[in-house]
Amino acid sequence: MQAEHRDHVHGSDGHRHPVDFDPTAAGPDPFPPEGVGGRPLRIGIGGPVGSGKTALTAALCRTLGEELELAVVTNDIYTTEDADFLRQAGVLERERIEAVQTGACPHTAIRDDITANLDAVERLCERYSTLDLVLVESGGDNLTAVFSRGLADVQVFVVDVAGGDKVPRKGGPGVTTADLLVINKVDLAERVGADMEVMLADAHRMRGELPVLAQSLTDDPAASAAADWVRQQLAAHRSAVGPAAG
Amino acid sequence: MALRTTTASLAVLTLADARFPGGGHAHSGGLEEAVHRGAVSDPRQLREFLHGRLHGAGAQAAVFAAAAAHAAARRVHPHHWSRLDAEFDARTPSPAQRAASRAQGRGTFRAGRAAWPSEVLDELLTITGSPHHPVVVGVLLGAGASGTPVEAAFVTAYLSVSGPASAAVRLLGLDPFAANAAVAALEHEAEGVAEAAARSAGESPEDLPGTSAPALDLLAQEHQRHHREEVRLFAS
Amino acid sequence: MRSAASLTVELDGTGGSVVRGLRSAAPLTLVPRRRGTGAPGPAVVHLVGSATSPLGGDDLALRVRVEAGARLLLRGIAAALALPGHRPGGSRSSISIDVEEGGTVEYLPEPTVITARAEHRAELVVRLARSARACCRETLVLGRSGESPGGLVTSTSLEREGEPLLRHTFEPGGERLRASHGHLGGARVLANEVVAWGRDPELPRSEPDWALLPLAGGGSLTTVLAPDAVTARRRLAEARAVHPAVEELTPADGPW
Repeated sequence: MQAEHRDHVHGSDGHRHPVDFDPTAAGPDPFPPEGVGGRPLRIGIGGPVGSGKTALTAALCRTLGEELELAVVTNDIYTTEDADFLRQAGVLERERIEAVQTGACPHTAIRDDITANLDAVERLCERYSTLDLVLVESGGDNLTAVFSRGLADVQVFVVDVAGGDKVPRKGGPGVTTADLLVINKVDLAERVGADMEVMLADAHRMRGELPVLAQSLTDDPAASAAADWVRQQLAAHRSAVGPAAG
Repeated sequence: MALRTTTASLAVLTLADARFPGGGHAHSGGLEEAVHRGAVSDPRQLREFLHGRLHGAGAQAAVFAAAAAHAAARRVHPHHWSRLDAEFDARTPSPAQRAASRAQGRGTFRAGRAAWPSEVLDELLTITGSPHHPVVVGVLLGAGASGTPVEAAFVTAYLSVSGPASAAVRLLGLDPFAANAAVAALEHEAEGVAEAAARSAGESPEDLPGTSAPALDLLAQEHQRHHREEVRLFAS
Repeated sequence: MRSAASLTVELDGTGGSVVRGLRSAAPLTLVPRRRGTGAPGPAVVHLVGSATSPLGGDDLALRVRVEAGARLLLRGIAAALALPGHRPGGSRSSISIDVEEGGTVEYLPEPTVITARAEHRAELVVRLARSARACCRETLVLGRSGESPGGLVTSTSLEREGEPLLRHTFEPGGERLRASHGHLGGARVLANEVVAWGRDPELPRSEPDWALLPLAGGGSLTTVLAPDAVTARRRLAEARAVHPAVEELTPADGPW
């Protein structure tokens, strides 16, 4: 009867993985090494409100869900109805989605105080011990918001053409330092009067060598290019710790 | 009444800082539900809410923080931590409040271990799995940072009101100067709560005083229930 | 006045529970309800001039023992008033109940009204063996109509095999504290019912003015805040209705 707290997610070092004593089992090492390599890759997906973070997350889940064990942490204002919506859309089972309550400060939760997000990632890792990838979606924020490197191994910043073609030029740490900048909804560029050439040129100028990707989920619902980038990141994450891990 | 017998250590200031990355910013301590009900909507009502919170939930947390700091400094037998844990549970009938306390305890542990590691802290985690927040604060100060029981109690009492005050600013767009003043106005009462807590720090876990705050228990449970139906921005 | 009363209940040969030892000590009078010998069911004892109708200076203690397999229903007759006495010092009442394996105690007193200038301290300690069961209720009315209450501290401690299930101490405090939504929310009546019956609600249930709370170590606590005792009783009944052990609990509203 004293078992309540055993149901809680344990502290960072206290969690236990199920141990499989079957010698023929081909499951992953139940005691993965410490450090980045022993855990799933964590990709942060940030960007302003309405730029299409959730749509990109959903597209990645659809495209990669077959080949990878993945889960999602969302920092958006979120109710169980949202989870039901995602589940009904066939994107992801509800148990693979963890919502974080950010205390009305989404940028704090992904950058200054990542506790709630790390807890959510740990809960997912305890539920699914063989996860390859956790997508951490930020709440809609402004151009200054970035993920802490303590939370996200790599991060994607999503802007859209409807937000105005000056957005890349404004810069801000999201645009300038994210590992991938996605310019979304390019199919709308003409209608909203956004100059794609200017946007792309500004983006490359602000970002130097860092990649920029222009996409339309209307034209390519699979987000193929972004999915390829994720695959590359995962390969790099795995090779960084040798073939045995992950 | 004065706490000036000790100089606040840097660890005390760091733990009390709103920028301490232990996950506290996502907890409103029942304030979000109180706002939702219309019970708190202006600085005067916030002040009254905080006053009640300090003397109930805050006082109990302070008692356990002081006791944990006292025990940590004496390198108690590890079994002591499970007794303290069970006694805090028994004084916290609301599952939502227990969960909020453990969530903040886990966050404070993770952030605190990087700053003030100690064997006692690791023992606490091994024994309790997911320790309660006041106990973690007490152990961080008592074992890792050479803080005193009264300091641990004072920090914990302060955190019991500073978080909800910050939440009020975010939820109500309240004047931040007024919210800050509401916290500052509790100075003598917070010192009194901390000193009372320090006086019981050496008592056996089962004899530690408890203080129930039934209205807060109901707010905590309703907060959790409503989150299933509509958005709640805070975890508690 | 100091007084110490005691009560022991045991199983008789036919499966019914009987009062074996009973010592009243004024002003604590224990009145067992008569029933035919060999009739099954719990022993029923009424507290008359109960442990919770104290005057200043009173120190009332009641020790109860429920032996293995026996069942006791201990109830009040009328609402109790905590009043200031002629002598200085507050009043104190303490009830201690030990329940052996397979035993059951239900303690269902009537409300205690804390009048102005009362200084009352009430303690209830229940120690359960591993398979024992308990249901204890407490209803505190803070002042008669329009009256501010005096001082009050109540504490309830429930243990099973020495492990704490509930340590509940309540102190309404001054007017400011009572009005605070972070403490008592301005309620005039606080009611609690702790149930440790082996079967607990899996999930908490709550409404704005009551909650059924599963305790960490087993058992549950219902907490009610109400403007009056009648409403509090109704809310306790609502909470009971969703408790998995409701069919086995003695109805709080009689028949006695």
